[in-house]
Amino acid sequence: MNNTWVKYALVFVLVVLIQGLVVNNIQLSEYVMPMVYPIMILLLPFNQNALTSMLIALVLGLCVDAFSDTFGIHASAALLIGYVRPTLLKYIQPKEGYDTSLLPTVHDMGFVWFGLYASIMLLIHHLWFFSIEVFRLDLILLILGKTFMSFVMSIGLIVLFQFIFYKPSRS
Amino acid sequence: MRRLLQFLKKFRDFIIFLLLQAFVLSLFINSKNYHKAQMVNTSSGVVGWFIEKKHNITRHFHLGEANDSLAIENAELRSQLPESFYKLQDRIYYINDTLYEQQYEYIPAQVINSSDNRRNNYFTLNKGTKSGVQEGMGVITKEGIVGFVVDASPHYAIVRSVLSENINISVKLRRNNEHWPLKWNGKDNSIVQLNGVTHDIDIREGDTVVTRGNKGMFPENQTVGYVNEISLTDGKSTKNVNVKLAVDFSSVYYVYVVQNFLKEEQLTLEGDLFKPKGDE
Repeated sequence: MNNTWVKYALVFVLVVLIQGLVVNNIQLSEYVMPMVYPIMILLLPFNQNALTSMLIALVLGLCVDAFSDTFGIHASAALLIGYVRPTLLKYIQPKEGYDTSLLPTVHDMGFVWFGLYASIMLLIHHLWFFSIEVFRLDLILLILGKTFMSFVMSIGLIVLFQFIFYKPSRS
Repeated sequence: MRRLLQFLKKFRDFIIFLLLQAFVLSLFINSKNYHKAQMVNTSSGVVGWFIEKKHNITRHFHLGEANDSLAIENAELRSQLPESFYKLQDRIYYINDTLYEQQYEYIPAQVINSSDNRRNNYFTLNKGTKSGVQEGMGVITKEGIVGFVVDASPHYAIVRSVLSENINISVKLRRNNEHWPLKWNGKDNSIVQLNGVTHDIDIREGDTVVTRGNKGMFPENQTVGYVNEISLTDGKSTKNVNVKLAVDFSSVYYVYVVQNFLKEEQLTLEGDLFKPKGDE
């Protein structure tokens, strides 16, 4: 139990630093703003309740905000997916339920399930993020464009991140 | 009863979600409306330390470009030295006169963190209050203006770039001194807009847009950009004017922070006349 939380704390620091110092510098165009830090919220254990995931998301978001001078937008978007996560997990549950010894990673749950789960979470996150950031109805196409382009990049990075830092829970 | 408790439990999460969301959104909205950063940002101690470590690695990637631009600037400045002028009249001599008083001084700084693809963009500089950088100072490069300082810690400073929502820097045309506030609509990071250009004003494509020097933030006549598109909308009394920025915001590196010795004098004098409006 303790060991798991130490591991999550390490992942937290790693994710914030990678987002703040590396990924924030990928500025290919004004449409592409990849975000890798939602992986921290995505990969929490299956039975995590909304309260804990919201608090983790809030702290995570504020840390990322501090690194990217966004003054609270990352925290807001992270908070939203932290709140949505338990409900979404309930909707996309496999027939036999979740095995709590596994984690919601590509390795444990397979590409199809993870792809669906991560896409919904990331699309909600990015859409909220760019809507708050731009906050103009007449620029809706800009918001959608930013959301989609960044989403493609983010999901690629998140899958890549798992292949680098995660192993299957059971080999 | 059990169902009711479950319902309340779900409701509890939602209330907490709304409260936290209201808290972070108020942070964000405050940051847009005040000329002062209200939250931890890249000028603060720990974050600044990490950003500087990153900068120590990545700054070498652009060294070639940076050197070229400095060399060009040196050459231009050298050509203005007295030694580079041929004396047409031998009897010209210099005296140390009192006609001039130093008004501006420039603090050189390097950009160690930047963004140009958001709605509100910021730069982090590696100079802070210990080098004399203060909130409200303008920041320029040799090509043109970049933004102004919104927060400064002892060793770092945060600059709100021209690519921001409520930038409102006052600019004018070099040719005929017509002036407007500068705006950015968030679409293209090399194009900004002029608001409220009426039909009677003589404005042409290619005109140079420069700073007006009010509020003491920038010296007068610093280049901002060049008018590159003028279009009309039916039924509107104003023209849409797009200005191509002189500075390439994706590769800003060496910058100068403008220190204006007469700013306080100007602002106090103006403060007596005009009551301050809003957050200005």
